[in-house]
Formats: sequence, structure tokens, C-alpha cells
Amino acid sequence: MILEEAISFLKKNPPFQLLDEPVLKDVAHSLSMEFYPKDTVILKQDGPPSEAVRTIKKGSVKILMKAEGGIDSIIDYRGEGDSFGFVSLIARDKQKTTVIAADDTICYTLGRDKVLKLIESRPAFAEYFMSHLTRYVERTFEEMKGRSLAYSGTDRLLFTTPSGDIAKEVITVPEDTTLQEAAQVMAKQRISSLIVLNKNNVPAGIITDRDLRRVVANARNVTDLVKNIMSISLIRVDANDSCFDAVLKMIKYNIHHMIVIKEGELKGIITNHDLMLLQGTSPLSFVNDIEKQQTIEDLVNVSAKMNTIIGLLLQESTKAGSITGIITEINDRLLKKVIEIAEKKFGQPPVPYCFIVYGSEGRKEQTFKTDQDNAIIYADTQSAGAEEEAEKYFSALAVFIKDSLVQIGFASCRADYMASNPKWRKPLKRWKEYFENWITSPTPEAVLKSLIFFDMRPVHGKFSLCNELGSFYMPLIAKNKIFLGHMANIIVKNSPPIGFLKSFVVEKSGEHKNEFDLKLKGVMPLNDIIRLFSLESGIKLTATLDRIGALKTRHPAVKEYHNELVHAFEFLMMLRMHYQFEQIKERRPPENFINPDQLSNLEKKTIREVFHLISKMQGTVVEMYKPLIV
Amino acid sequence: MLTGFFSRKNTPASQSIGDAEYTVLDTELTGLDLKKDSIVSIGAVRMQGARIDIGASFYRLINPANGMDLTSVLIHGITPSEVEQKPSIDDVLDELSVFCGSSVVVGHFVSLDINFINKELKRTGRKNMKNAAVDTCKIYEWIKSNEGSFSRHYSARRDALDLFSLAREYNISFDEGHNALSDAFITAQLFQRFLSSLPGSGVKSIRDLLKIGKA
Repeated sequence: MILEEAISFLKKNPPFQLLDEPVLKDVAHSLSMEFYPKDTVILKQDGPPSEAVRTIKKGSVKILMKAEGGIDSIIDYRGEGDSFGFVSLIARDKQKTTVIAADDTICYTLGRDKVLKLIESRPAFAEYFMSHLTRYVERTFEEMKGRSLAYSGTDRLLFTTPSGDIAKEVITVPEDTTLQEAAQVMAKQRISSLIVLNKNNVPAGIITDRDLRRVVANARNVTDLVKNIMSISLIRVDANDSCFDAVLKMIKYNIHHMIVIKEGELKGIITNHDLMLLQGTSPLSFVNDIEKQQTIEDLVNVSAKMNTIIGLLLQESTKAGSITGIITEINDRLLKKVIEIAEKKFGQPPVPYCFIVYGSEGRKEQTFKTDQDNAIIYADTQSAGAEEEAEKYFSALAVFIKDSLVQIGFASCRADYMASNPKWRKPLKRWKEYFENWITSPTPEAVLKSLIFFDMRPVHGKFSLCNELGSFYMPLIAKNKIFLGHMANIIVKNSPPIGFLKSFVVEKSGEHKNEFDLKLKGVMPLNDIIRLFSLESGIKLTATLDRIGALKTRHPAVKEYHNELVHAFEFLMMLRMHYQFEQIKERRPPENFINPDQLSNLEKKTIREVFHLISKMQGTVVEMYKPLIV
Repeated sequence: MLTGFFSRKNTPASQSIGDAEYTVLDTELTGLDLKKDSIVSIGAVRMQGARIDIGASFYRLINPANGMDLTSVLIHGITPSEVEQKPSIDDVLDELSVFCGSSVVVGHFVSLDINFINKELKRTGRKNMKNAAVDTCKIYEWIKSNEGSFSRHYSARRDALDLFSLAREYNISFDEGHNALSDAFITAQLFQRFLSSLPGSGVKSIRDLLKIGKA
């Protein structure tokens, strides 16, 4: 019965569920069961490699990594059915993360030998582990943090770059070269490996730094020949395979060098180091691709890769903030490119203008392709005739931009919040009137509709127009508390979907029966609360995480719950993106509804905490705006 | 001949409790009278330190020499017809002896189980089992008394020392029902919990463990 219980557990959880019954039984026989009281350090960063893969039977663990300054940051949580410990197990390298029991935790443990055997004999099993491994390959938190999104130049994607493109020229030596000679060649060429050719000039093996270390360690004679110590199994990758494939193979075979074959010929060699350099760069090669395009049609083709890239980012990355940052960067570039093409088509504008975005785009929080929220502010004109002329120009420009963006995959806004709508294409003085009107004589309706404009951000043109507008309305807000009171009312009315006894409140009928709207009930209330606090404090930033950061020193509620707010927001965004990515993979349009039954226990627990935090913040808002709450 | 618990050296007293090997065992009996009653089944699991080996478990039904008491059938659910075809206690004890080796034997009120096993060993002219043995109930009581004044509510719960009550207290999930193997597995998990906290209370070696929990 002990064994049966283990087998039925394995059947439910990847990667074990990929195994067939007899293998599963055999695996279960090799399992042992461990118990870790809450807060036990199970694996320690920079400690010895993990000697087993552990799968959580009950409880949960948190995974931490040292950031700059040596402070541990939580980068992941694992819950029931999840596994950990395979990266260092396979790499036989130092443990890369610290794993701590977040609850009293019971794990099924499978020893290293058994895991390696399974990886060798069961391709599906290996595949699963490899796909997980790549998330962590030689990546450090510092690197991630230090890496600027604006970094560009020659960077390219790990996933799309053919390995042939980064292969270095191979240095070869005949098989009867002595070890000393080989070492001298390596030292002179500053390389870490040599390919050994046999008598027929065919690659027969490789010798690497590692092999030479062994030579020294074993006090072998340096006059010995390379053919006696070289590794004979030459693991190779085709020049057309992506670098990603190369990384997988390196991990699989635990090697640091790999030869690249092109059309049957030795093309070159790639090293672990080359791949790391490549991986250290951002998806901005994609951005470079965008820059090169000249027509809308070309942009459509390029942007088709977007969702795949986000998917890969999701697999790779741990922080929602960096993913949405990259998405924003890419979307901005697409938008700028479209505007450039438009300007070429319609000529230079009669007056300076600024193309702005707002809503999630303004907050730099776009996930998968969202709809358009944009507008045009143009400089005030001297005469009515000049304004008419400007309007004519910007009308044509805006409509072209809208249609192009639709073609590329950004749906048009259902509420018509786009520059193509004459209402949102105005000279600066009109925009000032809009804001003045919203702020000084607010109605609940108008405030609700205006909210997204307070997240506006310039993307193209004369940024000073947008900034001037901001400097105009910020002081107005301070003088008109009633406006903020209306915002507070909107926030308070949107209560989190947690019912009595902590159950989730879900839709009772319709298409989304038993689901709740993660955007409406989670992301939006947080956005709204943080926006309110920011406007109160005169903060001009738009991204929610940036705003939270700026509020930390200025707002008492944010000061107290700073970390919680950041984690809550990160968690919601990450959950949403993962869900949407699954939907896209299943070729369904991405949406925001989630069935709480499909969440893991850990996710449920976390999301309850998030909702609890939202209620707490709403409480603060009620307290502050009591006289204005209706 | 016999390589199991009669002949081999015992676990050294100086060994760390986290490294020692354990056999957690439980028996089902026809009744509690050492003279009249006998063993119906034996279940055991192995532990390497605090790790429970999922693949290494031992479970044998035994054809009792003295026949079965009908009231005990109600408790363990093993009927006479089920055990008729089963091996005799002699064969099973040989196998158990190999399974236990020189490990430390662990059980809940394990003295009772050991007394019955020794009775059978004696009857067939063999020596008592030599393994060091600890009782999870005694360890539990020690832990509670060691927590001392910090857990005043303990006295109120003093009566609930049976395996299932303790399992509930330590949040160990189990199916009700008396089966020697599943009970041994629950006991092992309980012991596993103890092993994680004992070093913090100064219980580090097998010697220390025997001091607080010797059966």
C-alpha cells in the first residue's frame, strides 16, 4: 500500500506521469520519503550539488537566489507535485539556488543514479527535465538585474540564432601531438579545446582544459599523445540547429564544448562560454529586426513571432516586471516604426505633436497583444485655419496608424480610445480643458472614463507636449480633493472575490461560470489604488511597480506594505500571463477568467493573501476619504 | 545460517540518529495475552536515517499455531481462512531477521511486538532478537515533558497516546484500519517527525535516543 500510494502519486505528476507502468513501479521502488519541518534549508546556494530529485508530496518550498549585495530573493515557489533539485544534480556543479521548506513538507526523493538512468532511457522524461533546466542554465539574478533593457547592438536570441552563426573556427591537431604541444597551442591561441584529427584528417576526438587538468592531477607524462587522453565521443550539433538546442545537448551530456557540423563538414566549435554570452543578451534582436523593416507588411511578419517570444520569456524568466518591460519595449518599437512609416507616407506634420499611449500600455504592463489605447496631442496653432489643416493631417495619420496596428495584431479599442477618434486628437489647449474638466467638476461617470488617461506616457514626437500637460494637471489635483474622492469610490466598490469562510466568489452562470476575472478583481484594483496614491503624492510615474517604489518613502500605507504590494502585483501579472499563454497555445484568444479549482494549493493560498491585501488597502482608502465615500 | 538480528553486530551507540538504519515494525496479534495469543501478521518498513524507503517494505500474514480468536478478527480484519495458506511463523521470522539486519528497531509500544516475536523465537529454540529497540510512544512522552511548562495543555491530552491520535497531532494523513504494514508506515512517519526535532533537544546519537526511548 505504501508503494501503491507512491505509484498513484507519480502517475498524477510530471515528469513521472510520462513513464509507463512497469518503469513507474521500478521508480517507486527506489523512492524514499523525507520530511522537512517548515524553514528547513533543504539545498543551499553554492553548496554541494543536489544528490536527488525531490518531488513535493505535501507542503511547499521557496527557492531563493542571492541578488547583488548578497541578499536572498525569492525567485520561485514550488507546491505539491512540483519537483526541485535537478539542475545541480545534472550539472554536477555547485547548487545554484537555496531551497527552503515554506511549510512542513514531505518529499518523495529519487536518487541521482536513478534519475540519470531515466534521463538516458526515457526521452520524454529527459525532455521534461531539459525544458526545466534551461530556465536556470548558468543564469544569475545579478545578471538579470544588471541587464539593461535598452542594451542593443549585436545581441541575438538564444532561441533563434543558428548555432553555426556563433561557432568559432576550430583549431585542430594531429592525433600524435604530445600533450605538451597541445597545451602550448591552446595557450597561444587562448582557447579551451582542440579537435584531434586522425590519420585521415577526420575529427576523432576532442581535448579540453578539463582533460589537461586531469593530466596534471594524475601526473601523466606530458610527452604522452593526445589520442590517448582525448574524449572520443564527439557530441555535435548541426549548424542550423538553434543555440538553444546546443545548450540542451551540453546539459544532457554534461560537456562544455561541442562541434558544429555543416553539411557533413566540421564547421566550428561552440563553447559553454559563447552560449552564456549569447544568453546574457536580451530579446532585443527582435527589436533590431523591427528596426530593419520598411513596410507594414514586413512588420506584420516580424511581429507574428511576438507570442512565441513571450512564451519563451515566460519559461525563462522569473519576474513579471521584466517580462512586461520587454513586451512594452518591443510594442513601443513596433508603434514607433508604424508612426515613422506613416510620417513617410503623409509627410512632415504641420505642427509638432506627441503620440501618447495610456492604460496598460501607458503603465508598461502589457501582456499578450492587447488593444490600442492611444492619442495625439499637437501643439497649439495660431489660427483656426491652421488648426483645421493640422486636424486634416493628423486625421489621416491617425487612421493609417490605427489600421496598421490592427493589421499587426493590436485590436482596435472597443471604447474608441484611439487617436483615430477626433476626440482624442487635439491641440494641447483642448487637452488641458479635458483634464481641467475631469478634475475640477468631476462626475462619477466622467472620472471612471478618464482614469486610464492618468497613466499616459509619450512614445513618439515632441515629448514636452505630454510633459506640459502633466505639469498642468498635477497641481489641479492637489486642489481638488473631490476628484480623488471619486477615484476612491471607484476603488472601494470593487471588492475582492473572497467570500465568507474564505471561499472564492465566482461567476454563478454564463460563459465564465465558476470563474473569476483576474484582471477586474486583482490587477485593476491594485492599479487603481496605486494610481490614487500616486496622484495624491504628485508622482508622475505610470508603471504600477515604479509607482509603488516611489510611494515607498512618501505614503504610509505603501511604506508598511511595500514588499507585499510588489509581490502581489508580480504574482497576479505572472499568473495572468501564464494562463494567457496556455490559452494562446491552445489557439484560444487570451482572456482573464480563472477557475480557482485549476489553481495549485500554493497559488490559491497566495491569491487569497493578495485579495486580503487588496481589502486592507481598500480599508486605508475608506479611512482617508471617509467624508467623500458615498 | 541466520544473518539477521540474532547474529550481527548492533548499531553502534555513538552513531548519529540521522545516519543510523532503522526498521519500523508493527504486528497484529490474535490478542494481548502473551501466553495464549500469537502473531497474525508482521509489517515493517526500512529507514536510512530520516528517509523512509518506499520500496523496502515487509509484510507477511502468518498461520497462527493456536488458531484465531474471533474477537480479534474484528479488529484486524484477517480471517482464519486468509491465513491458513500462509507460511508458519518460523519461516517468517527468518525473513524478518534478514530484513531487520542490525538496524535499530522502532515501533509504537514496540515492547509488546518484541515480546511476541521473542516468544516465538524461544519456542523454536532460538535466541531473543538483539537489536536495539525504541518506542515512539516513549519518545513522544519525552518530547512533551521536555517541552515542559511550555505546553500545559499536554496533561489534558495525556490519555491519547495511541498511534492514530499521535498521527493526527502531527498532521500525518492515514486511512483508519489496522494493518501491520500501514501502521508501521504511520509509525515511521511519526518517527521521522521526531528525528527532525530531536537533535535540537540534544538527542543526537543512538545512545541518546535509547536513553529517552528504549523499549
